[in-house]
Amino acid sequence: MTTTTERPAVAPSRTAPTTRVGGVAMRTPFWVFSGALAVIFLFPLVWTSVSSVSPHPGTGQVDGWGFGNYATLAHYQAGIGQYLANSVFVSGLCVILTLLISTLGGYAFARFRFPGRNLLFMVTLAILMVPYASLLIPLYVLLNKVGLSNSLVGVALVLTMFQLPFSTFMMRISFESVPRELDEAALVDGCSSFSALWRVLLPAVRPGLITVGLFAFLAAWNDFFAPLILINDTNKMTLPLAVSNLRVQVQGVVDYGATEAGVVVLAVPCIVLFLLLQRHYVRGFMSGALKG
Amino acid sequence: MRITRTRSTGRGLITGLVTAGLLVSLAACTSAKDDDTTSGGASAAVTAGTDGTDDGSTLTLWTRAPLEKQANLLVDAYNASHENQVELTVVPNDDYVAKVGAAAGSGGLPDLFAADIVYVPNWVKQGLFQDLTAQIDALNYKDTINKGHLAAGTQDGKEHVLPFVLDLSMLFWNKDLYKEAGLDPEKGPADLTEYVANAKAIQALNKPDTYGTATGLNCGGCLVFTWFPSVWADGDQVMNPEGTESLLASDTATSVYSAWKDMWDAGAVLPSSKDEAGPTWTAGFTEGKVGQMLYPATLLSSTTGFDVGVAGIPGPKGGASTFVGGDGIGVSKDSTKASQAWNFLSWMMSEDAQVEVLAKDNDVVSRSDLADNVYAQKDPRLVTINTVAGQGDTPVSLNFQQAFNAPNSPWLTLVRNAVLGDGSSVDPDNDEITAVLSQ
Amino acid sequence: MTLQTARLAVATSNKRTTVSRLRGWVYAAPTALFVIVLFVLPLILVFRMSASQWPLLAGDQGINLPDNYVNAVDNRFFWDSVRFTLKYTVLATILLITLGLGLAMLVQESSRWKGFLRTSFLVPSALGLASASLLFYVLYSPLAGPFAPIMNHFGWTFLGTPNAALASTLFLIVWRYAGFYMLLMLVGLQAIPSEIYEAARMDGASRWHTFRSITIPLLKPTLALTTILCVTGSLLAFEQFYILTKGGPDNSTITVVELIYSVAFQGQNDLGVAAAISVMVLAALVVINVVQLRAFRGSGEN
Repeated sequence: MTTTTERPAVAPSRTAPTTRVGGVAMRTPFWVFSGALAVIFLFPLVWTSVSSVSPHPGTGQVDGWGFGNYATLAHYQAGIGQYLANSVFVSGLCVILTLLISTLGGYAFARFRFPGRNLLFMVTLAILMVPYASLLIPLYVLLNKVGLSNSLVGVALVLTMFQLPFSTFMMRISFESVPRELDEAALVDGCSSFSALWRVLLPAVRPGLITVGLFAFLAAWNDFFAPLILINDTNKMTLPLAVSNLRVQVQGVVDYGATEAGVVVLAVPCIVLFLLLQRHYVRGFMSGALKG
Repeated sequence: MRITRTRSTGRGLITGLVTAGLLVSLAACTSAKDDDTTSGGASAAVTAGTDGTDDGSTLTLWTRAPLEKQANLLVDAYNASHENQVELTVVPNDDYVAKVGAAAGSGGLPDLFAADIVYVPNWVKQGLFQDLTAQIDALNYKDTINKGHLAAGTQDGKEHVLPFVLDLSMLFWNKDLYKEAGLDPEKGPADLTEYVANAKAIQALNKPDTYGTATGLNCGGCLVFTWFPSVWADGDQVMNPEGTESLLASDTATSVYSAWKDMWDAGAVLPSSKDEAGPTWTAGFTEGKVGQMLYPATLLSSTTGFDVGVAGIPGPKGGASTFVGGDGIGVSKDSTKASQAWNFLSWMMSEDAQVEVLAKDNDVVSRSDLADNVYAQKDPRLVTINTVAGQGDTPVSLNFQQAFNAPNSPWLTLVRNAVLGDGSSVDPDNDEITAVLSQ
Repeated sequence: MTLQTARLAVATSNKRTTVSRLRGWVYAAPTALFVIVLFVLPLILVFRMSASQWPLLAGDQGINLPDNYVNAVDNRFFWDSVRFTLKYTVLATILLITLGLGLAMLVQESSRWKGFLRTSFLVPSALGLASASLLFYVLYSPLAGPFAPIMNHFGWTFLGTPNAALASTLFLIVWRYAGFYMLLMLVGLQAIPSEIYEAARMDGASRWHTFRSITIPLLKPTLALTTILCVTGSLLAFEQFYILTKGGPDNSTITVVELIYSVAFQGQNDLGVAAAISVMVLAALVVINVVQLRAFRGSGEN
């Protein structure tokens, strides 16, 4: 709006016709600059992967290159397989629960008016505002009472709760961005509201579902604090907990090699999933067009 | 549509019921907890024979990650020779208190758990351990059990804790670097002045990346562990006997600080020591880049590739002492298998466990009568360590962690001001420690 | 006849709203169940703790209001931690919002190279904050890190001075989160119709001018959302400092949540005081977010 009022008297031609050579010359600084940025962002990951297989005194890989640090990790206590399985179980359950609850909830918030709707939504978002550490002791007490202490299901439930603000918000705007005519047409055709959701709306919000699922997985896979407090049994520990245990030896001395190997093992599944699903979740954000 | 409606009311009801149930149980749990604290803890005494019960029960045991190796050895040996089976849980060091706290508050502690010996007085006072006085007193070798650990777990004349793993701070020196610097590789410094001179001599070699000494100037625990012995070696004390007043502004303490300030100003201390918060404080020495260091004895086996000399930690005027650290272990207030748990503890103190498990692994034994055992005799350094253990000390105070070990402790402020600063604020900084200790 | 139809119509519409309400609740029930059982109930317990004498190891010892709040404010690190948290929040928010927007504009159009750039900026978001902090812990280490020789040469370390520690932590946060904020900004930019840019170009507006008078105003909803997210997240900063600096050097990087953690688990072991600080943090966040929402809404109307 202000542009029109402040229009300069003579419009200078900003976009001078560039020759091919000039274009390349103009773009070179851009390439250098953006390339440097990409290097900065990728360097820490590349360096960690490389140095996790390179020799360093005081680690599992003392001379020569090799997978000594990974061997340390693999043979820790119950063995890495057990911890991987536990992590997969917790993350999987958390993803399923998050998808289920936030789909139903997002649908409710986007399509229905019911008493307490705004209150429930605000309280859900308020989960973001409470320090994680403050809630865990009460949660521990609570899970103990319902017999879910020292159980991976309990951990998954807690992690799902912490995922709800983001996922409910995301699913709400995803449903809102689907034209109402779509489900109304389905209802007129005699579908119940549930089958309208299942058959018509779910395919339309698929990018949103992928985004929510991916973020739930990332959060659950990497979480350290909930399993630390809620799990007592060594055989039920998740991977981040095992890595953290391995890191520190006698008198608090850190095994850098095992730490690097642990970071790599933790990061690889996340990065692979992230890259595989990249197109979808970028679309998930786009389709919501985040209305604030 | 009707189906939906009934379902919804049904679900609403269930939600309501679950919520109500949880509210009730929450209320119930808080009151139950009150009962726990009054009935459990110090007042409940374990009643069992000298060796406890070995009836095939499953016992749970928690320890922090730094002691994992020793804990695994002990547990494996016990499980192989007994009906009872111990299940071990290892917890990251920094989060051990959080985990024990969460469990203690809701009656979920394991049968047995180990604790950093400096936390033990506080935890005993909070009633986390059962009274073991009768059992411990019945041991015919009671007088040989490490005094510092026993004292830390004793409150109002009742004993609750036995030594689990001992960790001593010792003076280590790199014999190769000593030789290069023209020092006698077979003889460690006799007092702190000599320590300073040796550090400077090694620094004067001007070898790249090689330094006279190293420490963790941002690590309260490391400094307590390695600097307190210098005060004790001169016959001085760091706290009053009740552990409520800090005596760290004494002449002895001040000369310890100035010795370190001297080395720091001369550039003879590994530069990264300044920010070292603990995780890598021993790495320089382990890699052979540091000439001499006050160092945990448990790491003796990790110094490979060069020859190491070991002695007690000297004071400004000589002498030798050590900080008897490590972990104590006891039966938790929540255990219903106290007699079985005692079976593990009494076995742990036996010659079988002390010599055939711990000493065999080059660990320090917790009984002075077993110090000179077959395994120690193979390595004279181990005899030195075991002997100095008897001259060492374990400070006892309820607020020890907060005053010294915590990342934001007043003790760290004192040391940093005294060594890195101009050293003029030792008195007010010492008062700050007393303020925390006497809370 | 007409009356009857009208009545019927009223009846059906009433019935329809009731049905719609019930259906809404059916779908919202799982969310409500989770939020009430796993969030509201524990939160109530946190409020109770904050009003009770509640040592970590001994449990509830009865109401002692308002001692915990007094003790919390009297804690020798309370005001320092508040000041530091605010400082960190302001810096982190400015950095992440401007960098997020800058990166988004850098990679806005689609081309192979820009697709690659976008992916490289986003990949760090796949790591958990704890893993990322551990990674940088090694990276910044004067022993094992790649910059160890440089650090030894200059006698300088990444976490050695208060300012260096803050800057190093901010770098970690930017590295971990810039891609995520870029993505949110991209979404916002995408929603601005290209005709408006076209019109501005026809009018001969300069790039800066277009940015200031078209992009920024039209991006306001996105900016509001990202700012609120970033402020809330930064005020609750914990893991990055807990792993990297432990509040040091010389207690210069203690955040409020770190204070909560240390009061609860490192030394004082007082859940009552820790809960009191948590309640204050929650109250402050509610106020700050309401103010932010008002501010963005108000300036949107102008």
